[in-house]
Amino acid sequence: MILTRAQKIFPVIFLSLLIFISYPLQTSSLAADIGNCLLCHKYPGLSRIDEEGQMRLFFINESIFNNSVHAKVKCEGCHTDITEIPHKPAIKVDCLVECHIVEPSTETKFSHKDVASFIKTSVHGKVDSAGNEKKFVQDYPDCKDCHDNPLYRPLSFFKKVRPGISEASLGRCRVCHKKDDFIYQFYNHVTTRLHKSRNPLNIAEMCARCHDDSALVARHGLSTKAVFSYGETFHGKAATFLDERVPDCLDCHVNKGESVHQMLSHKDPLSSIHEKNKGKVCATIDCHPSASPKLANYGVHSEFNLNQSPAQYFFTFFFIVLTGGTLLPLMGIIFLDLVRRFFPHATIGRRK
Amino acid sequence: MEKYPAIKIKDGQKYFYRFSLNQRIQHFILAFTIVILVLTGMPLKFHDASWAPYLYSLFGGIKYAPTVHKVNGAILVGLFFYHIFYLIYVIRKYHIEPAKKRGQLKKYDALKMVLTQKMVPNLKDAYDIRDLMKYLFFLTTKRPDGDEMTWKEKFDYWAPFWGMVVIGASGVILWSKELFTQILPGGVLNFLLIAHSDEALLAALFLFIWHWYNVHFSISVFPMGTVFLTGYLSEELMVEEHYQYYVEVMKKAGLEHEILPPHGAHGHESHEGGASS
Repeated sequence: MILTRAQKIFPVIFLSLLIFISYPLQTSSLAADIGNCLLCHKYPGLSRIDEEGQMRLFFINESIFNNSVHAKVKCEGCHTDITEIPHKPAIKVDCLVECHIVEPSTETKFSHKDVASFIKTSVHGKVDSAGNEKKFVQDYPDCKDCHDNPLYRPLSFFKKVRPGISEASLGRCRVCHKKDDFIYQFYNHVTTRLHKSRNPLNIAEMCARCHDDSALVARHGLSTKAVFSYGETFHGKAATFLDERVPDCLDCHVNKGESVHQMLSHKDPLSSIHEKNKGKVCATIDCHPSASPKLANYGVHSEFNLNQSPAQYFFTFFFIVLTGGTLLPLMGIIFLDLVRRFFPHATIGRRK
Repeated sequence: MEKYPAIKIKDGQKYFYRFSLNQRIQHFILAFTIVILVLTGMPLKFHDASWAPYLYSLFGGIKYAPTVHKVNGAILVGLFFYHIFYLIYVIRKYHIEPAKKRGQLKKYDALKMVLTQKMVPNLKDAYDIRDLMKYLFFLTTKRPDGDEMTWKEKFDYWAPFWGMVVIGASGVILWSKELFTQILPGGVLNFLLIAHSDEALLAALFLFIWHWYNVHFSISVFPMGTVFLTGYLSEELMVEEHYQYYVEVMKKAGLEHEILPPHGAHGHESHEGGASS
């Protein structure tokens, strides 16, 4: 069989095309896996039972990781103790380590060290102003008590604000920036940071892990199960319906422009919720711009219990009595009426 | 009032005038808005319940349901004020003005006219409740001789009336909290929220249990009373609930010989059939 020239080169073109098409799929990873960690960690079943009897999963889903805020950090950036494969059980990651990222504004190696200094002076710090360890120090949070590795939540602002990446905007990025990896990374980082990476319900649930723990609340002499009482307000209820416009814990408890790690006690005169400052909390341009400071007098953390808010407790009690007092007699009449209709002519009195 | 004859006869059955078209439209708006208000309000009150997000999403979820709630609330507040003006208009036109024309309007007469309106509770209601208890506890077979408006209807009228004052006022203040807290301390909103939602639950339960039992589910009217649509009540129900008024109307219409015996009296077969079916 004699092949024409076209027939001869067809397999070559076909194979070239196939390689060309599949090429981008292979190079989609953002953080180059230099240490070849995924050699093992790409397997979904990679796990073991640790010394405490807990099931530990070591699988890394590469595509999820590459959509997270730590996408650019290489494995070794955090797991600094691992230098060879196979490796010994990894030491707990210290979030304050200098990772391999260079912070572009200062061109120094990046670290979360500043956060630690913020936390130290905040209400969540482990030492008091005199430098002494606080009581029940084990209750105070470490980084990972509040944080995990959040996913990017990019926003498109092109014609309207919507979740996702604006392809139209990317065209403008590409005018100057040549590497798509960089463009996506930068776009994701900036637009994720322009809003919150968690919805209010997520934030509240995170705070609730400690602040709704009755024993912890009692130990630290706190006045309320904070997320429970927040949940009784319109804001909290809207949050359970996944409304993102309502304030969560962090929106009121941190001064605008400061890091959430600088949260202060309501007794601290610098705190956003200090008696003198809290008037300003509600009346921000995004919330209730026309409100007077009196609005902040609203009991955001009122519980309906006798100790914490007796007036509201009795007020609620009044309505319970009113409801019971109205409905129970009427329901009694309905019941008697139903019974009575079975025996329309029966009577124990004199017949008329 | 000639627009609505006291007794209408259709297919040989007598029907008795109860509500004008205006009143029926008012009732329809009231009923419609309250159902929507309850459906868009209760998911917020019981936000932790498993059904809450599903019910709420029927009205657009947290993004739109609050607006649906406010729009319906505003309509209901509007209806409330309309009703107040309607009452004043009716009392003036049919009670005060005619008395004035006759020159019989003395001091305090207008007040007396307001207080003797058919919806105002009076001593007869207390006697009717006593008689109803006697009937329900098998002490007698005779139902109370209801007047034009029975105590049940007065209850059904005044409970939502009070409810609308409490829920409406608290709702309006909560809606425009920025305006009202220019004067009121924010802590008042805590109490208004309790009042708004707890009174609403009471109202909803009251209407959906008590009112709906009386007009929908009770054996005498099941599956549905039609007076809220037609404005006319059947003779059977008239005898059962409004016997005193029924006799009055029949006499006025010159139909003394056709007056039926009271409900539950011996020999009145149709009611025995009705009750046991």
